[in-house]
Amino acid sequence: MPVPIDFSRSDQGDVSTVRIAGTLDVNTAPELAPVIDKLVEERRPRVVVDLSGLDLIDSSGVAALVALYKRCRNHGGQVSVTGARDQPLAIFKLLRMDKVFAI
Amino acid sequence: MASASVIRLISPCDLRHRALAVRLIAEACRLARGERTVDEQSLSGAYDLRDPFDAELVSAFAEIYNNIVLHAYGRRDGETVEIALHVADGTLTIEIRDTGVSFDPSTVPEPDLDSLPEGGMGLHIARAMLDEVAYEPGPPNLWRLTKRHRPADAS
Repeated sequence: MPVPIDFSRSDQGDVSTVRIAGTLDVNTAPELAPVIDKLVEERRPRVVVDLSGLDLIDSSGVAALVALYKRCRNHGGQVSVTGARDQPLAIFKLLRMDKVFAI
Repeated sequence: MASASVIRLISPCDLRHRALAVRLIAEACRLARGERTVDEQSLSGAYDLRDPFDAELVSAFAEIYNNIVLHAYGRRDGETVEIALHVADGTLTIEIRDTGVSFDPSTVPEPDLDSLPEGGMGLHIARAMLDEVAYEPGPPNLWRLTKRHRPADAS
């Protein structure tokens, strides 16, 4: 009964939106790595991570998003998070990531 | 008020069995809050962690479980974890026993959140989310996680 991750990317002009739903944790975060690598490789100027469908995150999932943030920042890109709720929002607030990601 | 109950799970301790353990904790949270039946929505596949009590306990447990799999057992296959849940008077106590490498939690530094760490956040999350996090080195090592449900939390 594991809850899998589901993600998709869509681009509109300078903005790439990555929608992540389900669970982003120690098991599923590695699946997101190719998506992150590609966004960094393409030096996308603006990345919006839509977490409105995300039910559960752990520190490994947070680490994946922090890595995305840092790597995009290296080429001057911006990363923001939208739609975080419930458990993921509580984790972001505890780790003070809500300010980093402009939640 | 839900009557006291004890639930035990003895399970392989690896990342394949992690979701099983996390699901057990999510359902035990409902029992601790006095909800007798499992939430139908939760059985459809998605976690229902809208109640802060559930969200905080599951968050903490998931981090401790990760620590056991990754650090105590070094991702080795064939290891076992025993999880005992005590549900009584709105308090959920989770005892987790492993036979992996012991450590001293007092030596784990608080993460420097301003530096945007990509690790070392697990124990910080667990401590912040619970009323008590106790650890006794073994074998078996024992983690005791305690959280009392306060109805005011359920806003």
